[in-house]
Amino acid sequence: MSLKKIDGLQSEIFVPITPKPVFAKVTKPLNEMTVAIVTAAGVHLKTDTPFNLAGDTSYRAVPGTAKDEELMVSHGGYDNTDVNRDINSMFPIDRLRELADEGFIKAVAPSMYTCMGGGGDVKVFTEKTGPEIAQKLLDEKVDAVVMTAG
Amino acid sequence: MIVQRAIESVGIPTIIIAALPPVVRQQGTPRAVAPRVPMGANAGEPHNVEMQTGILKDTLEQLEEIDQPGKIVELPYEYIAQI
Repeated sequence: MSLKKIDGLQSEIFVPITPKPVFAKVTKPLNEMTVAIVTAAGVHLKTDTPFNLAGDTSYRAVPGTAKDEELMVSHGGYDNTDVNRDINSMFPIDRLRELADEGFIKAVAPSMYTCMGGGGDVKVFTEKTGPEIAQKLLDEKVDAVVMTAG
Repeated sequence: MIVQRAIESVGIPTIIIAALPPVVRQQGTPRAVAPRVPMGANAGEPHNVEMQTGILKDTLEQLEEIDQPGKIVELPYEYIAQI
């Protein structure tokens, strides 16, 4: 018995497709790694331009030395209450510096990169924002990236 | 996750701390960890240094441990937001 009755018939329900896997091998131990945080949580320096809450494909650099009180969040897609209480609950920069101090990792990268997820033009994120951030991390010899989003 | 895949594809290993594991799975994350946290406190409860340190350390260890793309490891931390 064949279930196929009509050629070319397909469901009208949109079925999202998971993209092909990507995977970079880890080649050195944690205590030899320079680590960056990259987040889509909308974190940026208070002195920098806020993200457009209606959708924004731009990104910001945050120095690895930035203090909590110099940082803020512009993101319209999640409840900011916790992150406004403590930036580390979404952007664990103090914790990362402590891990570098105790030798768990080698160093904190010179720059963290941030964007505002949950909206914006997927094509621009794929073709411009993502590759530009990746190139900067390569230029700055970053060995590993911890992300928060989703 | 688009940005995570872009970084991974130039050869830098990445791991994401996710509050919504099904979303990062759908979008093709290379590596993820999932503590039991609400979106907005992915890296742990505000001002709970012990939890935040634990989550970050475990996350970095899973960066080394995870040996296949798309794997999501649950982390034993729980924070229920009172907001």
